[in-house]
Amino acid sequence: MPPESAIVQRTLEMLVLKSLSLAPMHGWGIGQRIDQLSKGAFQVQQGSLYPALLRMKRAGWIKSEWRQTENNRRARYYLLTAAGRRQLGTETAAWEKASEAVNAFLRTTTLEDNA
Amino acid sequence: MSAIADFIVRARALLFRGREESEMDEELRFHIERDAQERVRRGESPAAARREATLAFGGVERYKEHVRDARGTRPFEELTADIRYALRGLRRNPGFTLTGILVLGIGIGATTLVYSIVHSVLLAGLPYPEPDRLVRVVEKNSPTNVWVLSTADVVAIRERQRVFQEWGELSRAEVAMSGSGGTPERIQVARASSGYFRVIGIPVAKGRPILASDETADAPAVMVVTDAFATRLYGTADAALGKSLSLDGVSHTVVGVLPPGRDELGGVRSALWPALKLRPIVRRGPFWLRGVGRLKPGVTIEAAAADLSRISAEILPLYTDFRDSTTKLTPQSLREAIVGRAVKQVGLFAGAVALVLLLAIVNVATLVLVRASAREQELAVRVMLGANRSRVARLLVTENLILTLSAALLGLALAHAGLDLAVSQLSTLPRIQDVTLDWRVVALGIGAALVAGIVVSLSPIAALRSRANLASQATGRRTDTGHRTSRMRAAFVVAEFALAWPLLVASGLLLNSFVRLQRVDPGFDPRGLVSVGVNLPSIRYPDDAAIFRFRALALQRVADLPGVASAGLTSESPPDPQFGNYDNFNLVHKPVPDGQAEPAVPWYYAGTTWFSTLGIRIVDGRNFTDADTAAAFPVVIVSESWAKQFLPGESAVGRQLVQGGCYDCPKTTIIGVVEDIRNLGASLPMVAAYGPLTQNGTSSFEVVARLRSATPANLEALRQALRSIDPELPLVESTITDKVEASVADPMRWAAVLTAFGACGMGLAALGVFGLMAYTVRQRRREIGVRLALGAQPGAVTQLVVSRGMRYAILGSAIGLALTLILSGRIRTMLFEVSPTDIGTLAGVGALLLGSALLASWIPARRASQIRPMEAIGHD
Repeated sequence: MPPESAIVQRTLEMLVLKSLSLAPMHGWGIGQRIDQLSKGAFQVQQGSLYPALLRMKRAGWIKSEWRQTENNRRARYYLLTAAGRRQLGTETAAWEKASEAVNAFLRTTTLEDNA
Repeated sequence: MSAIADFIVRARALLFRGREESEMDEELRFHIERDAQERVRRGESPAAARREATLAFGGVERYKEHVRDARGTRPFEELTADIRYALRGLRRNPGFTLTGILVLGIGIGATTLVYSIVHSVLLAGLPYPEPDRLVRVVEKNSPTNVWVLSTADVVAIRERQRVFQEWGELSRAEVAMSGSGGTPERIQVARASSGYFRVIGIPVAKGRPILASDETADAPAVMVVTDAFATRLYGTADAALGKSLSLDGVSHTVVGVLPPGRDELGGVRSALWPALKLRPIVRRGPFWLRGVGRLKPGVTIEAAAADLSRISAEILPLYTDFRDSTTKLTPQSLREAIVGRAVKQVGLFAGAVALVLLLAIVNVATLVLVRASAREQELAVRVMLGANRSRVARLLVTENLILTLSAALLGLALAHAGLDLAVSQLSTLPRIQDVTLDWRVVALGIGAALVAGIVVSLSPIAALRSRANLASQATGRRTDTGHRTSRMRAAFVVAEFALAWPLLVASGLLLNSFVRLQRVDPGFDPRGLVSVGVNLPSIRYPDDAAIFRFRALALQRVADLPGVASAGLTSESPPDPQFGNYDNFNLVHKPVPDGQAEPAVPWYYAGTTWFSTLGIRIVDGRNFTDADTAAAFPVVIVSESWAKQFLPGESAVGRQLVQGGCYDCPKTTIIGVVEDIRNLGASLPMVAAYGPLTQNGTSSFEVVARLRSATPANLEALRQALRSIDPELPLVESTITDKVEASVADPMRWAAVLTAFGACGMGLAALGVFGLMAYTVRQRRREIGVRLALGAQPGAVTQLVVSRGMRYAILGSAIGLALTLILSGRIRTMLFEVSPTDIGTLAGVGALLLGSALLASWIPARRASQIRPMEAIGHD
């Protein structure tokens, strides 16, 4: 098993889904796009992308095909499937709900009495 | 997770592993090149860019492994590796592999076969609709005295019963069949009433069933035949309908054909099923009918017993010839009635096979254990080098699975091959024809072997637990580690000897009893005696006069043949364990108390020359004469055993008795006492009564001749003599020597089967102790070498090893002896003049087993004494 914890893995998958929702891309490109979109906030270990991509393929969220790059090189491109698009929606909603809850928790200033 | 996408990815990875790998390489190479290109664009030098890109990626090989993991095909790849490795291991050790597969395969095969037989014969339900509602009804006055029904009984049941939905009767008979082209032949038929077919619930496939209207005395004779019979004689079932065959001279028309494959109904196997015509009721007897009923839904067998008991009481006063109030019409489950007799024999058979399988499993377990111990070093090295302990365990289990599954395949093949042989050898068992291999049994046998194999193969893993052990095992300098496994090995060998005991004792006892059976004096000289069975068709021999004329002529012509020393007539020649003609009697001067059953004994009918032809001496009174006709008073000659049993201490001659419960008939007088012969077979009592054939108009009898020599010419002359009287007569001949042999054929077969099992058991036990001692010698090679170098005599070394082997054998034998004594009662009823705890047999088995143990441990012991000290010490 890869060393990343479950939460890191899930975040990575969400980032990949998001970046593929814009356009099909190869592995390196996905890494670059995550970097750009997050303005360098997420430092993805580039190698760890590939096991994650394969797992997502097995989950049926993405599929892959070999295409020519703009420089006429062969590269494996990843595409979002319908299931992947749904998954992105679910993940986004879950994430928003979770971050909302965490934010609310962190904003708490007074201790309410439950008794 | 999407199951389909997952499956596609995994299957692709598994099937096109090479392509998957090269694509992964290409993808990762592209990534790094693309990254380096980007860095060059930002102004780094090409060499630095490449280094940085690789660093940023974070270890190509590491992520390749992660990708491989993510494919989800690891377990499969490891499994194939395990299998490859296991196969290599098994091939490297052909002796171990072949022994294991053979031993276990034979064990599984034998068990599968035998339990399939047990299943079909004893356990499976009867092949009729709702078989649990079928009962057989018998007359019964004690737990052991059970007989069939009379016309009076079945008519009473038909009229008075309240518990059966259907009721029917059947009578078996041997008839002469002609009209099918070729010579007439004797054939067994089952005369059945219309109700019989309804009770069993099997309708005819073609034509019509037997109807009640076919059962009246003046109705035309009709019959139902099996599909096989119809096809053999007429080509198709349809073609058989309307055809006629002559049975005992009466033309029978085929009106119906049973469904294909059906030749047995209610435990009776027959090709022809003529309509049963009841003989008129003249008295309560004679008893000649098999009655079966189908209980109404919800009626228990107890309720049926109560109803039939009521009928027995109601009809008792109606007949003066039958006064035994303890005799009751009694229902018994049809299944039990059919298989009852076989339970004991098959039970013994099954028990023996279970022991053999157990022995086989223990034996293979020992082998696996010995082998696993020999590999402790290799396994320890693997674990020290970082192999996962569970992975090593899996490796051993895989090896075992392969071994067991190969053995299972072999076992199945053996069981399949043995099936036909078993069916033909055990043809006397009921329903044996229906035996098919039972897959549940196969699964059970394999399962047991698997569990045993896995448990055993894991024990060396347990021994690898401590690090200290590991180190000493890995270097091969093992000292006192594997104590646990060596105790287990010893326990296995002890168990093998314990299990072999009951097997060998059972076979010894059966052999012993068979030898004694064969030594029994039949009471007459069977050499040269030939019997020809005759069944006179009633159409050409309608009355006693015609029958008596034929008998006299036949006896005359046969006796006149030059090759015949003497000839006689009898209703049934000895010996016949299945003899059916018993008659009851009551001594006039010593009657049984009122309401009690009269004694019944085998009752034969014989001609005047019968005793002299067989060489049976008349010890008291006189022989039959031609004057003992139906007009004269009835007479009987009894055997010495009869006289001893019923008239101890007094002379039998002159005493009178009431025969067959006929109190209105003239009394029968005992006119003579003859020597005992083994009339029922070697192991059965010799009580017998003989009536004169001159007072009995039976149309079925045997002409028995003592030939001067049993040459084909003499036999042919005998046939010709009888054919010259009636050329159409079907003749069935047999030599009395054959009958004597046939009467002990069953004990012989069981003795042979058990002996084969016993031999297997002994071989397995010997193999076990041999394997263990050979292993021990290998393990202690260095120590033995040191002893020899220090001056130990080779003889002392041999003794050391042998005494160790014998210790296991003796301990196992002690346990086995106890086990045997516990089980011994079960075989008692199959023995003849041998006690189940016969000292000679027990001693013989002990000697045999310990002897084989001695030999089995002497071979490795001798090898030990020949060890060259310098080689052994310098070894590894």
